[in-house]
Amino acid sequence: MMLELLTIPAVILILGAFLLPLMPERMRSGMFILFPIIALWLLWNLPEGNLLQVSFASYELELLAVDGLSRIFGIIFALITIIGGVYAYHIKDLGQQSSALAYAGGALGVTFAGDFFTLFIFWEIMAAASSYLIWARKTEESAKAGMRYLLVHIFGGGLLFTGILLHLSSGGSLYIDSIEPAYTAANIFMLLGVALNTAVPPLHAWLADAYPKATITGAVFMCALTTKSAVYVMIRLFPGWEILIWVGVIMAIYGTIYALLANDIREILAYSIISQIGYMVTAIGIGSELALNGATAHAFNHIIYKSLLFMAAGAVIHATGTSKLSELGGFAKKMPLVIGLYMVGALSISGMPLLNGFVSKTMISGALGDAHLEWPILLLLIATIGTFLHTGLKLPYYTWFTEKKSKFEVSAIPINMKVAMGIGAFFCILFGVAPQLLYSQLPYPTDFQPFSIYNFVEMIQILVLAFVGFWFLKKHLNISSTISLDTDWFYRRPAGVVRTVFVETPNNLFGFAERITLSLAEKLSGTSKNPLRLLLPAFVTEGREIKSDGFTASMSAALAFILFGFLVAILVALI
Amino acid sequence: MKNWHWIALGTLLIVSLILEFTYLADYASHWWNHVPAFYALWGGLGCAVLIFVSKGLGKILILSDEDYYDA
Repeated sequence: MMLELLTIPAVILILGAFLLPLMPERMRSGMFILFPIIALWLLWNLPEGNLLQVSFASYELELLAVDGLSRIFGIIFALITIIGGVYAYHIKDLGQQSSALAYAGGALGVTFAGDFFTLFIFWEIMAAASSYLIWARKTEESAKAGMRYLLVHIFGGGLLFTGILLHLSSGGSLYIDSIEPAYTAANIFMLLGVALNTAVPPLHAWLADAYPKATITGAVFMCALTTKSAVYVMIRLFPGWEILIWVGVIMAIYGTIYALLANDIREILAYSIISQIGYMVTAIGIGSELALNGATAHAFNHIIYKSLLFMAAGAVIHATGTSKLSELGGFAKKMPLVIGLYMVGALSISGMPLLNGFVSKTMISGALGDAHLEWPILLLLIATIGTFLHTGLKLPYYTWFTEKKSKFEVSAIPINMKVAMGIGAFFCILFGVAPQLLYSQLPYPTDFQPFSIYNFVEMIQILVLAFVGFWFLKKHLNISSTISLDTDWFYRRPAGVVRTVFVETPNNLFGFAERITLSLAEKLSGTSKNPLRLLLPAFVTEGREIKSDGFTASMSAALAFILFGFLVAILVALI
Repeated sequence: MKNWHWIALGTLLIVSLILEFTYLADYASHWWNHVPAFYALWGGLGCAVLIFVSKGLGKILILSDEDYYDA
């Protein structure tokens, strides 16, 4: 049984998280990369089917359910953990290394879970392990953001678990399968729980709040794993839920507008994740085979180019110590390689032909066209224009070009960071020029052909005119030192009031009561030190020294006896 | 932006327009395919709308001081 557990890719990574602390420090970075390589090799060779059952209470849990969909998500999660491991090779922080491995293990566990309990457990492992990647930055800001992130995810996990329990109690199956579009309480709770991790507004604010405050290397794992594993679960559970078509479109536009306003470079990229996931959610809402293939392919490509972008943004922060457009600028000549690699990712996400974003975006718009959903096509094109504007133009222009806006030194970045970015850029180009490599792994067989003259004309015209628009209107873009208010306002702003009402007021009340009690006790004890002061005040006024212990022992005993006699007499009289 | 940058972009746009009016002349899968150079217009228009809408929303609702939550 124990040996069989080792065939689960997730177990390999979580085991790795526990083994890392036992290894010598200089080996850890290398071993960090080895575990996801083993997991990748394992899941590559797993046959399809339900491979491992474990009895738990009266249930039979499916720990390892492999099919085309779970395999391709497993491949990309393992691959990005390897690339992230290369990027973080220079990091000596054991806490970050272990939690990143456990986090990736959680994502793989969710991917291969065949039943809801297994899914939920790995879902929570992800939330707990990833929180540390925010805290590890060790600033006051990240400590608070990490706590908010954890609380929101515990809430989301609660929603999901409520949904699962309702689903089971109403006779639903424990095993994961697509759910018919019906708005029962169970389905709504499950959808909300998954939607929170997919960053669907208004449940999305944790993402843009936490990712810019995570560690440089931690953010690379975070941008790849949490939201995309939720997209995977959404493809599994909710394909063809029509509400998702418009939810996705709203997400795409919403994320774009916030990304255009953001000043922190990783906040721009974080909001852009929400926008990109909008494409996937829309495709899931359509639910056709082409659309689900498109959502899967887009999630796959998105993980590659988005982590590349986060790696490049991390390189900027590593080199300059700042992440704000209002402070950066004027050092393009000092990091040409990083700019080049960043632009590969930025043009990929913008849908430039011959890069990987193009081969999955065209698939989704093809699926929308087949379903005659014309306005979603046009609105998603607006989001594409916006993506090119903020990630492809605004961010690089104000980060590296323009004049220097504050004083900072540009230090060298470790070679392994560049290598990791190079690997990411390589895959962006590889799947862009040879999309069949990706298409052949998709859950449904497809003969989709992205390279048509129509698609080429469409993207070139859009991108060229968006560039012209940027160039002439760029002075209207925000690069001042501001923050954006989002739906986290609802739990961050009242935090002060909540603290005052529920923490500080009771605290003050108890403090007040405590002070009164203590001062009363002090006065009482002061009195009992010398009762004669009360009984014979004349002694004091005459200035004579009073000694309560000035009597002989027998005298004291006699006096005490008399006092006791009085007390008894009073008691008897009273009764 | 140097001159040759603009020339390169212009050439790309002209190539796409030539392709549109030759190879795709009778192509119509969406209603907007009848509008000549629709994607160029949509790109330019979308860009301007996004920039001004986000600017407006930022001003009236979204943007705030960095110490907003600390205050």
